[in-house]
Amino acid sequence: MPDVQSMVLEFVNKLRKRKIEGSQATARCTVELLRSVISHHRVPHHANQASALIDAVKAVGAQLVAANPVELAVGNVVRRVLHIIREEDLSLATAAVAGLDLLDASDDDEDVNGKGIGYPAMSAAVVAAAARSTLRPPSLQTLLEGTPESATVPYTSSSGADSESKTADKSSITRKLKHDVIEGVNQLIHEIAGCHEQIAEQAIEHIHQNEVILTLGSSRTVLEFLCAAKEKKRSFRVFVAEGAPRYQGHLLAKDLVARGLQTTVITDSAVFAMISRVNMVIIGAHAVMANGGVIGPVGVNMAALAAKKHAVPFVVLAGSHKLCPLYPHNPEVLLNELRSPSELLDFGEFSDCLDFGSGSGSPLLQVVNPTFDYVPPSLVSLFITDTGGHIPSYMYRLIADYYSADDLVM
Amino acid sequence: MWRRSASFILDDERRRTSDSPPMAADNTTTARAPFQNPDAISAYYQTRAAHHGVITSDWLAQAQAAVGGVSGEEHPDSSAAELGKEKTFNVIEEFNGWRKQPDLAEAVAAIRALAAVIRASEASTMMELEIELKKASDTLKLWDKTSISLTAGCDLFIRYVTRTSALEYEDFNSAKSRLLERAEKFGEISCKARKIIAMLSQDFIFDGCTILVHGLSRVVLEILKTAAQNNKLFRVLCTEGRPDGTGVLLSNELSKLDVPVKLLLDSAVAYSMDEVDMVFVGADGVVESGGIINMMGTYQIALVAHSMNKPVYVAAESYKFARLYPLDQKDMAPALRPIEFGVKIPAKVEVEMSARDYTPPQYLTLLFTDLGVLSPSVVSDELIQLYL
Repeated sequence: MPDVQSMVLEFVNKLRKRKIEGSQATARCTVELLRSVISHHRVPHHANQASALIDAVKAVGAQLVAANPVELAVGNVVRRVLHIIREEDLSLATAAVAGLDLLDASDDDEDVNGKGIGYPAMSAAVVAAAARSTLRPPSLQTLLEGTPESATVPYTSSSGADSESKTADKSSITRKLKHDVIEGVNQLIHEIAGCHEQIAEQAIEHIHQNEVILTLGSSRTVLEFLCAAKEKKRSFRVFVAEGAPRYQGHLLAKDLVARGLQTTVITDSAVFAMISRVNMVIIGAHAVMANGGVIGPVGVNMAALAAKKHAVPFVVLAGSHKLCPLYPHNPEVLLNELRSPSELLDFGEFSDCLDFGSGSGSPLLQVVNPTFDYVPPSLVSLFITDTGGHIPSYMYRLIADYYSADDLVM
Repeated sequence: MWRRSASFILDDERRRTSDSPPMAADNTTTARAPFQNPDAISAYYQTRAAHHGVITSDWLAQAQAAVGGVSGEEHPDSSAAELGKEKTFNVIEEFNGWRKQPDLAEAVAAIRALAAVIRASEASTMMELEIELKKASDTLKLWDKTSISLTAGCDLFIRYVTRTSALEYEDFNSAKSRLLERAEKFGEISCKARKIIAMLSQDFIFDGCTILVHGLSRVVLEILKTAAQNNKLFRVLCTEGRPDGTGVLLSNELSKLDVPVKLLLDSAVAYSMDEVDMVFVGADGVVESGGIINMMGTYQIALVAHSMNKPVYVAAESYKFARLYPLDQKDMAPALRPIEFGVKIPAKVEVEMSARDYTPPQYLTLLFTDLGVLSPSVVSDELIQLYL
């Protein structure tokens, strides 16, 4: 336990000091840390072990999110793990109930009343259906139904009996939950690591012969995407906007040329001038919000507006760990980070303007260096994730699949 | 009357000549006719106006003529009438009784009326009960074709009954008591829904923002009350809301909470739109496309807000989702409401009396419901899950 605690603190420090860059690396480290937390957590044998695990993960998750609130991948991954725990618990519960039902039908009589008055017997189908509905987000269907506590029913009904076969089942259920959760988490790690290949597979459907593609800054997903199309023998050109002030577009251009693609480097201000010659804009996202809005490197909003004006399709590539279940309210301020002004201006040359010691105490020259840009969903034509291509108004569906409603607030 | 073509002169002639026969035909049909207002004055908007305390004299006269003094006299002692008709009287009277309470949502009143039907029913099997409920729900819908919450609430309850009676293996009496209990609980659900919506929308109201509100929705009022209680600093612009005068009522409520309020003429919305940060409206109904049906004027405000890139947020409980798909403004059952101008209008001049309009989904930004924050495209998904 103390070992895990020190790991958590170390990771929190790294996040706070922004030592880990890139949402994929962050997501991966977070999942691996959570896996250690789960495997080291000592789970109680009776009652709800699932909720014990959930509480442990939530506690760690809250710390991680607080360390770097702008890196949304951390929160996403924590919520994915929580969803996995809930799902595994549910499938075990339905299996247990089905098993118990076969063994002893009379046990149901002394059941707790999760639903209403005067219930002589609760069939397994009903319990399973009710438990499933607790996992899904609230919907019109379940509006009139009460909140069933049937997730606990299998445990209580199994504790009511004292036949040995039942107790043997119970301890195997204990071990099984942790085991299943760790398996699910491993699958998640695998998914995060493999997202680039999944997305790149779809490149051939979207990039056609003799096309001109525009991209901004540098994204590994975009690089893999373009190279996959090149390998399938499509010939096309790429315009790379350099992405001031970090000029990562230069690095992308170098990589593209190394793989044999015809590349043109342009300044960010030239995007509007060049957009009429472009067939498609492809960028990588930092995060995708629940309404379909995109958080991307600074400058993508300008590219999106230019694309909209000239009716050029604006395609966003995002792995599933970038899908965030939150709705952005005031994203330009709350989901943005200001980096060091030294990336823009050399302090030596401007030291007289930036002098805090002069006159009123605050200098007349201010430098603002935001990291991210928000693109509203109306400007995006298509999202390509590892599950396929979707329109912005469909993102809520993917989010409902990956996350549980109870985990939105941590 | 529809004004699709320039042949409105012909239509006018046709309307004048066809005025007399339908009235005669109505009186010869079943005793339900007195309950159907021949002038299609919307009972739903009538009740809303009653809640707001705005009742004009000629409105009252028309209402009385339509109801014709049936209210309290017939139902207990109409033993000569058939059993079916007695139920008919009961359900509508029950519904009207519940509906008059100003704080009760329309759908809750409908479900309580259906609960009364269950209580009064003498059915001995689930199938019989379901058929009775269906008949009662059809009667209610026929009584007021313009109220979307009523239709949606009835459908939701009937759907719940049908679905769960197939699932549960229980005897009839416990099923009946469960349905009654659920129906009673629905009132709580509705209250809780308003609180959930208020909680969800808190993050979207930031300090120093200006909110434009149209109409007097109890849900929007709850949102603003919660924000004021959380010590958020914001100010509200409310439209006058003719003919119901919702602006003055809303400003009364808000000044009690010490929220700075400014009243606008309905026509001053575009003038003030640049200082507005967001628009909040309620909804009488949410249709399948994700658009909303709300008090007249909402479409106008949404258009202006959209053209100036201001977000339009709709606060609506989930039981207002209805299976309607209006293609244009006139595609719904007409809901008319007499308007008082204060001066005499010449006889030949027509007045646009529709009480509501339809706002298409592309002008709405987000819907705050008790199912969560939704974008307009999620509505049809929810409806499909319920009905298919």
